[in-house]
Amino acid sequence: MSSVEVRELSVRAGAKELISNVTLAFEPGTWSTVIGPNGAGKTTLVETIAGLRQPSHGSVSILGHSLATMNERERALRVALVPQHPVVPSGMSVYDYVALGRVAHHGLFHPPSVGDRKIVESVLERLSLVGFRDRDGATLSGGERQRMVLARALTQSTMVVVLDEPITGLDLRHQMDMLELMKHEVHECGLTVVATLHDLTLAGQFADRLVLLDLGEVVLDGTAAVVIRSDELAKRYGMNLRVVDVDGSDVVVPVRHEST
Amino acid sequence: MAIVAAVTFGALLVAIVCGLVIGPTSIPTWRLVGELFAHVGIGHNTLTPLQWDVVWQIRGPRMVIGLLAGSMLAVAGGTYQGVFRNPLADPYLLGVAAGAGLGATFAIIDISHGVGTPTWTPLLAFVGAMGAVIVTWLIGGRSMRSNTATLILAGVAVASLLTSAQTFLQQQSSANSITRVYIWLLGSLASAGWGTVWLVFPYVIVCIIICVGAGRALDVMSVGEDESRSLGVPVRRVRFVVIAASSLGTAAIVSAVGLVGFVGIIVPHIVRLLVGTSYRRILPISVIFGAAFLVFADTVARTVIAPSELPLGVVTALIGAPVFVIILSLRRPVAV
Repeated sequence: MSSVEVRELSVRAGAKELISNVTLAFEPGTWSTVIGPNGAGKTTLVETIAGLRQPSHGSVSILGHSLATMNERERALRVALVPQHPVVPSGMSVYDYVALGRVAHHGLFHPPSVGDRKIVESVLERLSLVGFRDRDGATLSGGERQRMVLARALTQSTMVVVLDEPITGLDLRHQMDMLELMKHEVHECGLTVVATLHDLTLAGQFADRLVLLDLGEVVLDGTAAVVIRSDELAKRYGMNLRVVDVDGSDVVVPVRHEST
Repeated sequence: MAIVAAVTFGALLVAIVCGLVIGPTSIPTWRLVGELFAHVGIGHNTLTPLQWDVVWQIRGPRMVIGLLAGSMLAVAGGTYQGVFRNPLADPYLLGVAAGAGLGATFAIIDISHGVGTPTWTPLLAFVGAMGAVIVTWLIGGRSMRSNTATLILAGVAVASLLTSAQTFLQQQSSANSITRVYIWLLGSLASAGWGTVWLVFPYVIVCIIICVGAGRALDVMSVGEDESRSLGVPVRRVRFVVIAASSLGTAAIVSAVGLVGFVGIIVPHIVRLLVGTSYRRILPISVIFGAAFLVFADTVARTVIAPSELPLGVVTALIGAPVFVIILSLRRPVAV
Protein backbone atom coordinates (compact mmCIF):
# COMPACT_ATOMS: atom_id res chain seq x y z
CA MET A 1 0.00 0.00 0.00
CA SER A 2 1.25 3.47 -0.82
CA SER A 3 1.83 5.85 2.09
CA VAL A 4 0.20 8.73 0.29
CA GLU A 5 -2.23 8.44 -2.55
CA VAL A 6 -3.39 11.52 -4.39
CA ARG A 7 -6.26 10.74 -6.73
CA GLU A 8 -7.58 13.11 -9.41
CA LEU A 9 -6.92 16.00 -7.08
CA SER A 10 -8.08 19.49 -7.96
CA VAL A 11 -7.90 22.46 -5.61
CA ARG A 12 -9.53 25.81 -6.30
CA ALA A 13 -9.15 29.23 -4.77
CA GLY A 14 -12.28 31.09 -5.86
CA ALA A 15 -12.55 30.70 -9.62
CA LYS A 16 -8.88 29.87 -10.10
CA GLU A 17 -7.84 26.24 -10.23
CA LEU A 18 -4.51 25.91 -8.41
CA ILE A 19 -4.14 22.15 -8.93
CA SER A 20 -5.83 20.27 -11.76
CA ASN A 21 -6.45 16.57 -11.81
CA VAL A 22 -3.24 15.44 -10.13
CA THR A 23 -2.79 11.72 -9.46
CA LEU A 24 0.32 10.58 -7.58
CA ALA A 25 1.32 7.82 -5.18
CA PHE A 26 4.20 8.02 -2.72
CA GLU A 27 5.79 4.86 -1.34
CA PRO A 28 7.08 4.23 2.20
CA GLY A 29 10.75 4.99 2.76
CA THR A 30 11.03 7.32 -0.20
CA TRP A 31 11.77 10.98 -0.59
CA SER A 32 9.87 12.76 -3.34
CA THR A 33 10.35 16.40 -4.15
CA VAL A 34 7.90 18.53 -6.04
CA ILE A 35 9.61 21.14 -8.22
CA GLY A 36 8.33 23.75 -10.60
CA PRO A 37 8.35 27.49 -11.24
CA ASN A 38 6.65 29.97 -8.90
CA GLY A 39 2.89 29.62 -9.03
CA ALA A 40 3.07 26.02 -10.25
CA GLY A 41 0.97 24.82 -7.30
CA LYS A 42 3.72 23.11 -5.26
CA THR A 43 2.73 24.57 -1.91
CA THR A 44 -0.97 23.99 -2.63
CA LEU A 45 -0.24 20.34 -3.38
CA VAL A 46 1.77 19.68 -0.23
CA GLU A 47 -0.62 21.67 1.95
CA THR A 48 -3.48 19.57 0.64
CA ILE A 49 -1.53 16.40 1.43
CA ALA A 50 -1.02 17.82 4.94
CA GLY A 51 -4.78 18.34 5.20
CA LEU A 52 -4.71 22.13 5.35
CA ARG A 53 -6.67 22.67 2.14
CA GLN A 54 -9.91 21.15 0.96
CA PRO A 55 -9.84 19.50 -2.47
CA SER A 56 -12.50 20.77 -4.87
CA HIS A 57 -12.33 17.38 -6.53
CA GLY A 58 -10.54 14.10 -5.90
CA SER A 59 -9.01 12.83 -2.69
CA VAL A 60 -5.88 12.32 -0.64
CA SER A 61 -5.37 9.14 1.39
CA ILE A 62 -2.69 8.51 3.97
CA LEU A 63 -1.94 4.83 4.58
CA GLY A 64 -5.25 3.89 3.00
CA HIS A 65 -7.42 6.31 5.00
CA SER A 66 -9.00 9.27 3.27
CA LEU A 67 -8.03 12.64 4.78
CA ALA A 68 -11.57 13.88 4.25
CA THR A 69 -12.91 11.47 6.88
CA MET A 70 -10.36 12.46 9.53
CA ASN A 71 -10.52 15.21 12.13
CA GLU A 72 -7.50 17.38 12.88
CA ARG A 73 -6.17 15.07 15.56
CA GLU A 74 -6.40 11.90 13.49
CA ARG A 75 -4.65 13.70 10.66
CA ALA A 76 -1.88 14.97 12.92
CA LEU A 77 -1.18 11.36 13.96
CA ARG A 78 -0.55 10.43 10.33
CA VAL A 79 1.09 13.39 8.63
CA ALA A 80 3.43 16.10 9.94
CA LEU A 81 4.24 19.39 8.26
CA VAL A 82 7.32 21.59 8.20
CA PRO A 83 5.83 24.83 6.86
CA GLN A 84 7.52 27.30 4.57
CA HIS A 85 7.21 30.17 7.04
CA PRO A 86 6.88 28.68 10.51
CA VAL A 87 5.53 30.93 13.26
CA VAL A 88 7.91 30.80 16.21
CA PRO A 89 6.22 32.50 19.17
CA SER A 90 8.57 34.59 21.24
CA GLY A 91 8.96 33.47 24.83
CA MET A 92 8.37 29.78 24.11
CA SER A 93 11.32 27.53 24.94
CA VAL A 94 12.79 25.17 22.37
CA TYR A 95 11.65 22.21 24.47
CA ASP A 96 8.06 23.47 24.71
CA TYR A 97 7.99 24.22 21.00
CA VAL A 98 9.24 20.77 20.02
CA ALA A 99 6.84 19.17 22.52
CA LEU A 100 3.91 20.72 20.60
CA GLY A 101 4.40 17.81 18.21
CA ARG A 102 3.06 15.48 20.91
CA VAL A 103 -0.24 17.32 21.44
CA ALA A 104 -2.11 15.07 19.03
CA HIS A 105 -0.93 12.08 21.08
CA HIS A 106 -1.75 13.25 24.62
CA GLY A 107 -4.65 15.54 23.74
CA LEU A 108 -5.53 19.10 24.70
CA PHE A 109 -6.71 18.27 28.20
CA HIS A 110 -3.91 15.98 29.37
CA PRO A 111 -0.30 16.74 30.14
CA PRO A 112 2.40 14.92 28.15
CA SER A 113 3.06 11.39 29.44
CA VAL A 114 6.48 10.03 30.37
CA GLY A 115 6.55 8.38 26.93
CA ASP A 116 5.79 11.70 25.23
CA ARG A 117 8.63 13.37 27.11
CA LYS A 118 11.05 10.59 26.20
CA ILE A 119 10.25 11.02 22.52
CA VAL A 120 10.82 14.78 22.75
CA GLU A 121 14.16 14.20 24.49
CA SER A 122 15.30 11.67 21.92
CA VAL A 123 14.42 13.93 18.99
CA LEU A 124 16.21 16.87 20.66
CA GLU A 125 19.25 14.65 20.96
CA ARG A 126 19.10 13.36 17.37
CA LEU A 127 18.89 16.89 16.03
CA SER A 128 21.60 18.26 18.36
CA LEU A 129 19.17 20.60 20.09
CA VAL A 130 19.77 19.47 23.67
CA GLY A 131 21.96 22.49 24.40
CA PHE A 132 19.16 24.82 23.32
CA ARG A 133 16.29 23.21 25.17
CA ASP A 134 15.63 26.12 27.54
CA ARG A 135 16.44 28.88 25.03
CA ASP A 136 13.66 31.10 23.71
CA GLY A 137 12.96 29.61 20.26
CA ALA A 138 12.58 33.07 18.74
CA THR A 139 16.22 33.91 19.58
CA LEU A 140 17.72 31.02 17.60
CA SER A 141 19.62 31.51 14.35
CA GLY A 142 17.97 30.54 11.08
CA GLY A 143 19.59 27.10 10.93
CA GLU A 144 18.87 26.26 14.56
CA ARG A 145 15.33 27.47 14.23
CA GLN A 146 14.67 25.34 11.17
CA ARG A 147 16.13 22.32 12.99
CA MET A 148 13.73 23.03 15.84
CA VAL A 149 10.76 23.13 13.44
CA LEU A 150 11.89 19.82 11.93
CA ALA A 151 12.20 18.41 15.45
CA ARG A 152 8.59 19.36 16.15
CA ALA A 153 7.47 17.53 13.01
CA LEU A 154 9.50 14.44 13.95
CA THR A 155 8.05 14.29 17.49
CA GLN A 156 4.66 13.88 15.87
CA SER A 157 5.93 10.35 15.09
CA THR A 158 4.06 10.19 11.80
CA MET A 159 5.02 7.96 8.88
CA VAL A 160 4.49 10.82 6.43
CA VAL A 161 6.33 14.14 6.69
CA VAL A 162 5.62 17.06 4.37
CA LEU A 163 8.36 19.67 3.96
CA ASP A 164 7.42 22.94 2.28
CA GLU A 165 10.62 24.73 1.25
CA PRO A 166 12.38 23.65 4.45
CA ILE A 167 15.68 25.39 3.64
CA THR A 168 14.44 28.86 2.71
CA GLY A 169 16.75 31.50 4.14
CA LEU A 170 19.50 29.12 5.22
CA ASP A 171 23.12 29.37 4.13
CA LEU A 172 24.59 26.58 1.99
CA ARG A 173 26.00 24.55 4.85
CA HIS A 174 22.81 24.71 6.84
CA GLN A 175 20.80 23.79 3.75
CA MET A 176 22.89 20.66 3.34
CA ASP A 177 22.80 19.87 7.07
CA MET A 178 19.04 20.18 7.19
CA LEU A 179 18.47 17.95 4.17
CA GLU A 180 21.04 15.38 5.39
CA LEU A 181 19.26 15.20 8.73
CA MET A 182 15.97 14.55 7.03
CA LYS A 183 17.49 12.04 4.62
CA HIS A 184 18.90 10.18 7.61
CA GLU A 185 15.45 10.04 9.21
CA VAL A 186 13.95 8.70 5.98
CA HIS A 187 16.44 5.86 5.97
CA GLU A 188 16.39 5.14 9.69
CA CYS A 189 12.64 5.24 10.23
CA GLY A 190 11.26 4.43 6.80
CA LEU A 191 9.46 7.76 6.57
CA THR A 192 7.72 8.98 3.47
CA VAL A 193 8.83 12.51 2.68
CA VAL A 194 7.06 14.77 0.26
CA ALA A 195 8.92 18.06 -0.11
CA THR A 196 9.00 21.15 -2.24
CA LEU A 197 12.33 22.75 -3.10
CA HIS A 198 13.38 25.63 -5.29
CA ASP A 199 17.00 24.57 -5.54
CA LEU A 200 17.04 22.06 -8.40
CA THR A 201 20.53 20.77 -7.63
CA LEU A 202 19.65 19.94 -4.04
CA ALA A 203 16.26 18.63 -5.15
CA GLY A 204 18.02 16.24 -7.51
CA GLN A 205 20.63 15.16 -4.98
CA PHE A 206 18.33 14.41 -2.09
CA ALA A 207 15.16 13.10 -3.67
CA ASP A 208 14.53 9.58 -4.91
CA ARG A 209 11.94 11.00 -7.21
CA LEU A 210 11.11 14.39 -8.68
CA VAL A 211 7.68 15.59 -9.71
CA LEU A 212 7.70 18.61 -12.01
CA LEU A 213 4.57 20.67 -11.62
CA ASP A 214 3.55 23.57 -13.85
CA LEU A 215 0.30 25.51 -13.90
CA GLY A 216 -1.19 23.02 -11.45
CA GLU A 217 -0.52 19.95 -13.56
CA VAL A 218 2.07 17.20 -13.35
CA VAL A 219 4.40 17.64 -16.32
CA LEU A 220 7.10 15.13 -15.47
CA ASP A 221 7.40 12.45 -12.84
CA GLY A 222 10.41 10.16 -12.52
CA THR A 223 13.75 9.51 -10.89
CA ALA A 224 15.83 12.56 -10.10
CA ALA A 225 18.39 11.84 -12.83
CA VAL A 226 15.74 11.62 -15.54
CA VAL A 227 13.75 14.70 -14.56
CA ILE A 228 16.80 16.89 -13.98
CA ARG A 229 18.21 16.08 -17.42
CA SER A 230 14.93 16.52 -19.26
CA ASP A 231 14.53 19.33 -21.81
CA GLU A 232 11.08 19.93 -20.39
CA LEU A 233 12.61 21.31 -17.19
CA ALA A 234 14.25 24.30 -18.88
CA LYS A 235 11.15 24.88 -20.97
CA ARG A 236 8.87 25.02 -17.96
CA TYR A 237 11.17 27.39 -16.11
CA GLY A 238 11.47 29.46 -19.30
CA MET A 239 15.24 29.70 -19.21
CA ASN A 240 18.52 28.12 -20.23
CA LEU A 241 19.59 25.38 -17.86
CA ARG A 242 22.71 23.25 -18.06
CA VAL A 243 23.22 20.08 -16.09
CA VAL A 244 26.85 19.49 -15.19
CA ASP A 245 28.22 16.31 -13.73
CA VAL A 246 30.39 17.11 -10.70
CA ASP A 247 31.94 14.04 -9.10
CA GLY A 248 28.99 11.93 -10.16
CA SER A 249 26.34 14.39 -8.94
CA ASP A 250 24.12 16.40 -11.23
CA VAL A 251 24.44 20.15 -10.75
CA VAL A 252 21.86 22.38 -12.41
CA VAL A 253 23.31 25.69 -13.59
CA PRO A 254 21.26 28.56 -15.00
CA VAL A 255 22.80 30.16 -18.08
CA ARG A 256 22.13 33.77 -18.92
CA HIS A 257 20.38 34.40 -22.24
CA GLU A 258 22.71 35.96 -24.82
CA SER A 259 21.71 39.58 -25.30
CA THR A 260 21.10 40.40 -28.91
CA MET B 1 5.56 29.86 38.97
CA ALA B 2 4.82 28.29 42.39
CA ILE B 3 6.08 31.42 44.14
CA VAL B 4 3.99 33.70 41.93
CA ALA B 5 0.93 31.52 42.54
CA ALA B 6 1.49 31.57 46.31
CA VAL B 7 2.06 35.33 46.42
CA THR B 8 -0.99 35.98 44.24
CA PHE B 9 -3.10 33.76 46.43
CA GLY B 10 -1.81 35.54 49.52
CA ALA B 11 -2.69 38.87 47.91
CA LEU B 12 -6.18 37.55 47.27
CA LEU B 13 -6.66 36.63 50.94
CA VAL B 14 -5.40 40.05 52.04
CA ALA B 15 -7.72 41.75 49.51
CA ILE B 16 -10.69 39.73 50.79
CA VAL B 17 -9.98 40.58 54.42
CA CYS B 18 -9.42 44.27 53.58
CA GLY B 19 -12.60 44.28 51.55
CA LEU B 20 -14.56 43.02 54.53
CA VAL B 21 -13.01 44.97 57.40
CA ILE B 22 -12.26 48.39 55.88
CA GLY B 23 -15.04 50.95 55.65
CA PRO B 24 -17.09 53.44 57.66
CA THR B 25 -18.05 50.68 60.11
CA SER B 26 -14.67 49.36 61.01
CA ILE B 27 -14.50 45.72 61.95
CA PRO B 28 -11.46 44.32 63.77
CA THR B 29 -9.82 41.57 61.77
CA TRP B 30 -9.85 39.11 64.69
CA ARG B 31 -13.62 39.54 65.01
CA LEU B 32 -14.07 38.88 61.32
CA VAL B 33 -11.94 35.73 61.55
CA GLY B 34 -13.95 34.61 64.60
CA GLU B 35 -17.16 35.20 62.68
CA LEU B 36 -15.93 33.21 59.70
CA PHE B 37 -15.07 30.30 61.99
CA ALA B 38 -18.45 30.61 63.71
CA HIS B 39 -20.06 30.48 60.30
CA VAL B 40 -18.65 27.03 59.69
CA GLY B 41 -19.59 25.85 63.21
CA ILE B 42 -16.37 26.52 65.14
CA GLY B 43 -16.72 28.88 68.09
CA HIS B 44 -19.46 31.49 68.27
CA ASN B 45 -20.44 34.79 66.77
CA THR B 46 -18.08 37.64 67.71
CA LEU B 47 -19.68 40.46 65.73
CA THR B 48 -22.20 43.03 66.92
CA PRO B 49 -25.52 42.90 65.02
CA LEU B 50 -24.52 46.02 63.04
CA GLN B 51 -21.15 44.54 62.13
CA TRP B 52 -22.85 41.27 61.19
CA ASP B 53 -25.17 43.11 58.81
CA VAL B 54 -22.30 45.06 57.30
CA VAL B 55 -20.24 41.91 56.69
CA TRP B 56 -22.98 39.60 55.46
CA GLN B 57 -25.44 41.94 53.77
CA ILE B 58 -23.30 44.75 52.38
CA ARG B 59 -19.61 44.02 52.05
CA GLY B 60 -19.97 40.24 51.62
CA PRO B 61 -21.98 40.17 48.39
CA ARG B 62 -20.09 43.19 47.12
CA MET B 63 -16.82 41.40 47.69
CA VAL B 64 -18.03 38.18 46.05
CA ILE B 65 -19.26 39.99 42.96
CA GLY B 66 -15.90 41.77 42.89
CA LEU B 67 -14.11 38.41 42.96
CA LEU B 68 -16.29 37.07 40.17
CA ALA B 69 -15.96 40.21 38.05
CA GLY B 70 -12.20 40.47 38.49
CA SER B 71 -11.63 36.79 37.69
CA MET B 72 -13.93 36.76 34.71
CA LEU B 73 -12.70 39.97 33.10
CA ALA B 74 -9.05 39.02 33.62
CA VAL B 75 -9.40 35.49 32.27
CA ALA B 76 -11.56 36.68 29.35
CA GLY B 77 -8.93 39.29 28.47
CA GLY B 78 -6.16 36.70 28.62
CA THR B 79 -8.18 34.29 26.51
CA TYR B 80 -8.99 36.94 23.90
CA GLN B 81 -5.32 37.90 23.71
CA GLY B 82 -4.49 34.25 23.08
CA VAL B 83 -7.20 33.47 20.61
CA PHE B 84 -6.64 36.63 18.57
CA ARG B 85 -2.87 36.55 19.09
CA ASN B 86 -3.16 40.24 19.77
CA PRO B 87 -1.78 41.96 22.87
CA LEU B 88 -4.36 44.75 22.60
CA ALA B 89 -7.35 42.41 22.82
CA ASP B 90 -9.60 42.91 25.82
CA PRO B 91 -12.96 41.39 26.79
CA TYR B 92 -14.81 44.26 25.13
CA LEU B 93 -13.18 43.67 21.73
CA LEU B 94 -16.20 42.17 20.00
CA GLY B 95 -18.73 44.78 21.05
CA VAL B 96 -19.76 43.55 24.52
CA ALA B 97 -19.20 46.97 26.06
CA ALA B 98 -20.98 48.93 23.35
CA GLY B 99 -23.90 46.49 23.31
CA ALA B 100 -24.25 46.57 27.08
CA GLY B 101 -23.94 50.34 27.02
CA LEU B 102 -26.73 50.69 24.51
CA GLY B 103 -28.93 48.23 26.42
CA ALA B 104 -28.41 50.06 29.69
CA THR B 105 -28.91 53.46 28.08
CA PHE B 106 -32.15 52.27 26.56
CA ALA B 107 -33.32 50.97 29.93
CA ILE B 108 -32.37 54.13 31.81
CA ILE B 109 -33.57 56.69 29.26
CA ASP B 110 -36.46 55.11 27.40
CA ILE B 111 -38.03 52.85 29.97
CA SER B 112 -37.65 54.87 33.14
CA HIS B 113 -37.32 58.26 31.38
CA GLY B 114 -34.37 59.13 33.53
CA VAL B 115 -36.20 58.81 36.85
CA GLY B 116 -34.03 56.00 38.15
CA THR B 117 -31.90 53.08 37.14
CA PRO B 118 -34.57 50.46 36.55
CA THR B 119 -34.33 46.81 37.48
CA TRP B 120 -34.47 46.12 33.76
CA THR B 121 -31.04 47.61 33.28
CA PRO B 122 -28.94 44.46 33.83
CA LEU B 123 -31.21 42.36 31.63
CA LEU B 124 -31.15 44.84 28.76
CA ALA B 125 -27.41 45.33 29.17
CA PHE B 126 -26.96 41.57 28.97
CA VAL B 127 -29.16 41.29 25.89
CA GLY B 128 -27.30 44.19 24.27
CA ALA B 129 -23.91 42.68 25.06
CA MET B 130 -24.72 39.21 23.74
CA GLY B 131 -26.57 40.66 20.75
CA ALA B 132 -23.50 42.71 19.81
CA VAL B 133 -21.17 39.70 20.00
CA ILE B 134 -23.54 37.53 17.99
CA VAL B 135 -23.86 40.17 15.25
CA THR B 136 -20.07 40.60 15.21
CA TRP B 137 -19.64 36.84 14.88
CA LEU B 138 -22.20 36.61 12.08
CA ILE B 139 -20.41 39.33 10.14
CA GLY B 140 -16.80 38.40 10.80
CA GLY B 141 -16.89 34.77 11.84
CA ARG B 142 -17.26 33.26 8.41
CA SER B 143 -13.91 34.45 7.16
CA MET B 144 -12.18 33.23 10.33
CA ARG B 145 -10.44 30.59 8.28
CA SER B 146 -7.86 32.97 6.95
CA ASN B 147 -7.34 35.20 9.96
CA THR B 148 -9.03 36.78 12.91
CA ALA B 149 -8.57 40.36 11.69
CA THR B 150 -11.98 40.35 10.00
CA LEU B 151 -13.66 39.42 13.26
CA ILE B 152 -11.84 42.19 15.11
CA LEU B 153 -12.80 44.71 12.42
CA ALA B 154 -16.40 43.51 12.54
CA GLY B 155 -16.25 44.10 16.32
CA VAL B 156 -14.98 47.63 15.73
CA ALA B 157 -17.78 48.32 13.23
CA VAL B 158 -20.53 46.89 15.46
CA ALA B 159 -19.18 48.76 18.49
CA SER B 160 -19.09 52.07 16.58
CA LEU B 161 -22.62 51.59 15.34
CA LEU B 162 -23.99 50.75 18.79
CA THR B 163 -22.05 53.57 20.42
CA SER B 164 -23.47 56.06 17.94
CA ALA B 165 -26.97 54.74 18.64
CA GLN B 166 -26.30 55.14 22.34
CA THR B 167 -25.02 58.70 21.83
CA PHE B 168 -28.17 59.48 19.85
CA LEU B 169 -30.37 58.21 22.69
CA GLN B 170 -28.41 60.25 25.20
CA GLN B 171 -28.59 63.36 23.06
CA GLN B 172 -32.40 63.06 23.04
CA SER B 173 -32.66 62.83 26.81
CA SER B 174 -32.25 64.95 29.92
CA ALA B 175 -29.01 65.80 31.65
CA ASN B 176 -30.15 63.82 34.67
CA SER B 177 -30.52 60.59 32.78
CA ILE B 178 -27.22 61.15 30.98
CA THR B 179 -25.58 61.33 34.39
CA ARG B 180 -27.19 58.04 35.38
CA VAL B 181 -26.03 56.40 32.18
CA TYR B 182 -22.56 57.77 32.74
CA ILE B 183 -22.43 56.44 36.29
CA TRP B 184 -23.55 53.04 35.08
CA LEU B 185 -20.96 53.02 32.31
CA LEU B 186 -18.12 53.65 34.73
CA GLY B 187 -18.97 50.52 36.65
CA SER B 188 -19.72 49.99 40.31
CA LEU B 189 -20.20 47.11 42.70
CA ALA B 190 -22.31 49.27 45.03
CA SER B 191 -25.69 47.88 44.10
CA ALA B 192 -24.61 44.24 44.26
CA GLY B 193 -26.54 42.00 46.62
CA TRP B 194 -26.67 38.25 47.02
CA GLY B 195 -29.38 38.15 44.35
CA THR B 196 -26.94 39.53 41.77
CA VAL B 197 -24.25 37.13 42.97
CA TRP B 198 -26.42 34.06 42.50
CA LEU B 199 -27.69 35.34 39.16
CA VAL B 200 -24.26 35.60 37.56
CA PHE B 201 -22.43 32.93 39.57
CA PRO B 202 -23.29 29.86 37.43
CA TYR B 203 -22.46 31.57 34.12
CA VAL B 204 -19.26 33.04 35.36
CA ILE B 205 -17.93 29.87 37.00
CA VAL B 206 -18.64 27.74 33.93
CA CYS B 207 -17.09 30.36 31.63
CA ILE B 208 -13.98 30.67 33.80
CA ILE B 209 -13.53 26.87 33.81
CA ILE B 210 -13.84 26.71 30.02
CA CYS B 211 -11.37 29.56 29.51
CA VAL B 212 -8.79 28.13 31.91
CA GLY B 213 -9.24 24.68 30.36
CA ALA B 214 -8.40 26.11 26.95
CA GLY B 215 -4.88 27.06 28.10
CA ARG B 216 -3.10 24.19 26.36
CA ALA B 217 -5.03 24.74 23.13
CA LEU B 218 -4.17 28.46 23.19
CA ASP B 219 -0.49 27.59 23.71
CA VAL B 220 -0.54 25.46 20.56
CA MET B 221 -2.50 28.12 18.69
CA SER B 222 0.30 30.62 19.29
CA VAL B 223 1.97 29.07 16.22
CA GLY B 224 -0.89 30.25 14.01
CA GLU B 225 -3.94 28.63 12.53
CA ASP B 226 -2.48 26.36 9.85
CA GLU B 227 0.31 25.02 11.99
CA SER B 228 -1.92 24.36 14.97
CA ARG B 229 -4.33 22.47 12.75
CA SER B 230 -1.45 20.39 11.43
CA LEU B 231 -0.54 19.68 15.06
CA GLY B 232 -4.04 18.32 15.68
CA VAL B 233 -5.96 21.26 17.17
CA PRO B 234 -9.51 21.84 15.87
CA VAL B 235 -8.78 25.57 15.72
CA ARG B 236 -12.17 26.80 14.62
CA ARG B 237 -14.06 24.83 17.23
CA VAL B 238 -11.71 25.90 20.01
CA ARG B 239 -12.01 29.50 18.88
CA PHE B 240 -15.78 29.39 18.84
CA VAL B 241 -16.09 27.77 22.28
CA VAL B 242 -13.53 30.04 23.86
CA ILE B 243 -14.93 33.25 22.38
CA ALA B 244 -18.45 32.20 23.34
CA ALA B 245 -17.42 31.47 26.93
CA SER B 246 -15.40 34.68 27.33
CA SER B 247 -18.18 36.78 25.83
CA LEU B 248 -20.99 35.17 27.81
CA GLY B 249 -19.10 35.51 31.10
CA THR B 250 -18.14 39.10 30.31
CA ALA B 251 -21.71 39.97 29.34
CA ALA B 252 -23.00 38.52 32.62
CA ILE B 253 -20.47 40.54 34.61
CA VAL B 254 -21.01 43.75 32.67
CA SER B 255 -24.76 43.51 33.11
CA ALA B 256 -24.26 43.15 36.85
CA VAL B 257 -21.58 45.76 37.56
CA GLY B 258 -21.33 47.99 34.48
CA LEU B 259 -18.28 48.60 32.37
CA VAL B 260 -15.24 48.07 34.53
CA GLY B 261 -12.37 48.84 32.23
CA PHE B 262 -8.69 47.99 32.29
CA VAL B 263 -8.84 44.75 34.31
CA GLY B 264 -9.21 42.60 31.22
CA ILE B 265 -6.24 44.06 29.44
CA ILE B 266 -3.85 44.86 32.25
CA VAL B 267 -4.13 41.82 34.53
CA PRO B 268 -3.20 39.18 31.91
CA HIS B 269 -0.26 41.35 30.83
CA ILE B 270 1.02 41.75 34.38
CA VAL B 271 0.66 38.00 34.88
CA ARG B 272 2.42 37.30 31.57
CA LEU B 273 5.36 39.42 32.67
CA LEU B 274 5.55 37.40 35.90
CA VAL B 275 5.03 33.83 34.70
CA GLY B 276 5.97 33.80 31.00
CA THR B 277 3.98 33.28 27.86
CA SER B 278 2.25 29.94 28.47
CA TYR B 279 -1.52 30.30 28.74
CA ARG B 280 -1.59 27.24 30.99
CA ARG B 281 0.04 29.49 33.59
CA ILE B 282 -1.31 32.90 32.54
CA LEU B 283 -5.01 32.00 32.69
CA PRO B 284 -5.28 30.38 36.14
CA ILE B 285 -3.03 33.02 37.74
CA SER B 286 -5.07 35.75 36.01
CA VAL B 287 -8.21 34.36 37.67
CA ILE B 288 -6.69 34.82 41.14
CA PHE B 289 -4.87 38.05 40.32
CA GLY B 290 -7.93 39.60 38.68
CA ALA B 291 -10.10 38.75 41.68
CA ALA B 292 -7.60 40.20 44.13
CA PHE B 293 -7.04 43.28 41.99
CA LEU B 294 -10.71 44.15 41.61
CA VAL B 295 -11.61 43.60 45.27
CA PHE B 296 -8.68 45.78 46.25
CA ALA B 297 -9.67 48.45 43.70
CA ASP B 298 -13.24 48.39 44.99
CA THR B 299 -12.07 48.82 48.58
CA VAL B 300 -10.15 51.89 47.45
CA ALA B 301 -13.11 53.12 45.37
CA ARG B 302 -15.51 53.07 48.29
CA THR B 303 -13.20 54.40 51.01
CA VAL B 304 -10.98 57.23 49.72
CA ILE B 305 -13.77 59.80 49.38
CA ALA B 306 -16.29 58.10 51.70
CA PRO B 307 -19.22 58.42 52.11
CA SER B 308 -19.35 58.91 48.34
CA GLU B 309 -17.55 56.55 45.96
CA LEU B 310 -15.10 56.79 43.13
CA PRO B 311 -16.15 55.00 39.94
CA LEU B 312 -14.55 51.56 39.92
CA GLY B 313 -13.25 51.93 36.36
CA VAL B 314 -11.35 55.06 37.39
CA VAL B 315 -9.66 53.25 40.26
CA THR B 316 -8.71 50.18 38.22
CA ALA B 317 -7.00 52.45 35.70
CA LEU B 318 -5.43 54.67 38.37
CA ILE B 319 -3.89 51.70 40.17
CA GLY B 320 -3.44 49.40 37.21
CA ALA B 321 -1.62 51.73 34.83
CA PRO B 322 1.27 52.67 37.15
CA VAL B 323 1.66 49.08 38.40
CA PHE B 324 1.78 47.90 34.82
CA VAL B 325 4.33 50.53 33.83
CA ILE B 326 6.55 49.64 36.79
CA ILE B 327 6.49 45.92 35.98
CA LEU B 328 6.99 46.64 32.29
CA SER B 329 10.09 48.69 33.02
CA LEU B 330 11.49 46.05 35.38
CA ARG B 331 11.06 43.13 33.01
CA ARG B 332 11.89 42.68 29.36
CA PRO B 333 8.59 42.89 27.53
CA VAL B 334 7.39 39.55 26.24
CA ALA B 335 5.24 39.27 23.16
CA VAL B 336 1.90 37.46 23.17
